[in-house]
Amino acid sequence: MSAPPGRQRSLGASLLDQVLADTLDPAYAQAAAARAARDAARAGAPAGPRPPWSRRHRGQLLVALTLALAGLLGAVTYREAAAGAQGREQAREALRGDIAQEQDTNDELVAQLQELTREVTRTREDALARSVVGQRALERLAAAEQGAAVLPVSGPGLRITLGNAPPAADSDPVGGSDQLAEAGIVQDGDLQLAVNALWAAGAEAISINGQRVGTSTAIRQAGEAILVDFRPVASPYEVLAVGEPDDLARSFLASPEANTLGEYSLDYGVVFDFARADDLDLPAGTAAELRSARPLDPADAGTSTPTTPTDGG
Amino acid sequence: MIPILGLAVGVVLGLLLDPSVPLWLQPYLPIAVVAALDAVFGGVRARFDGIFDAKVFVVSFVSNVVVAALVVFLGDQLGVGAQLSTAVVVVLGIRIFGNAAAIRRHLFRA
Repeated sequence: MSAPPGRQRSLGASLLDQVLADTLDPAYAQAAAARAARDAARAGAPAGPRPPWSRRHRGQLLVALTLALAGLLGAVTYREAAAGAQGREQAREALRGDIAQEQDTNDELVAQLQELTREVTRTREDALARSVVGQRALERLAAAEQGAAVLPVSGPGLRITLGNAPPAADSDPVGGSDQLAEAGIVQDGDLQLAVNALWAAGAEAISINGQRVGTSTAIRQAGEAILVDFRPVASPYEVLAVGEPDDLARSFLASPEANTLGEYSLDYGVVFDFARADDLDLPAGTAAELRSARPLDPADAGTSTPTTPTDGG
Repeated sequence: MIPILGLAVGVVLGLLLDPSVPLWLQPYLPIAVVAALDAVFGGVRARFDGIFDAKVFVVSFVSNVVVAALVVFLGDQLGVGAQLSTAVVVVLGIRIFGNAAAIRRHLFRA
């Protein structure tokens, strides 16, 4: 039993060595040594075997109690960990449900908004159609709505296709392919170039992938995606422009923007096609929110009653 | 025999009763379990070595659990809780492996 003090004296042993060597609590060895000494002392005076028996019995119960505690600890920890994982899964599920629910609510509200907008438009037309001044206002309104891209438009025009460069699988097997792919991605600025050139060329209405481009529609990049009117669109981008096809095509092709896009197509492999189209159907854009309003002049208000139709001339 | 029965009773009790643990105590449960495992393996090995002592076992078990939880708690207060719990797990893990190897030598003589 001289091993423990011997080990303690060897200061050269590293901490790791000690940790690796002393896996058993030295208290056991000390207790065994003490017990052996006690037994040796008692060996001289023979006593009954009963006291050690009861002591061992009590010890066993104590050990059993401790082990029960260990089992309890382990079981509780296991349950906690399981409950934690389950709770996370539940939270994720609840969040997923929330998202779906909010999306449904959103769809519902959009449908409701469209319904209400139709109703407002119908009521407004009914009210305005009753007077000559109202009819003139209605005509002005129709022109304004045309310009504001609130009404659907159909007619001949130009169909322009912009798209990300297809992956160069055969020509560039190793190295530089990433660079090419990145340069061949259509940016929001490219779409803006095309749309601005079309406006300048005299387009009456423009849409990108079914999203009508109005006066206040933003075309911008958000991460990897391009948003038109805050809705994501994906390559290939189909830009439709309604207008006189010949004039539109001539003016568009002569524009520096079209030239730039053509260079992109040649240099980076960006898809850039255009064709005349006889019959294009452009959807209505989202109605612009009412930002400013002005009360009617009292004079105008007086004339707007149907009893004074002479003022309409 | 009685100790193994006690362990089984403890596990069953923990699973059946599902006692609620206060929130502040929950982070220290896993480390306490590792410490308890170390004490139990140490006790088993001592038994095989023939030097098992009930008092030493009980004291080492309780102190192991409390000290391990306390060290991690202290680390949490100092902002090194994760590192200290790693240290505790490494040291106790090495001891558990060493004792398991000793038990294996006793059981299989290899």
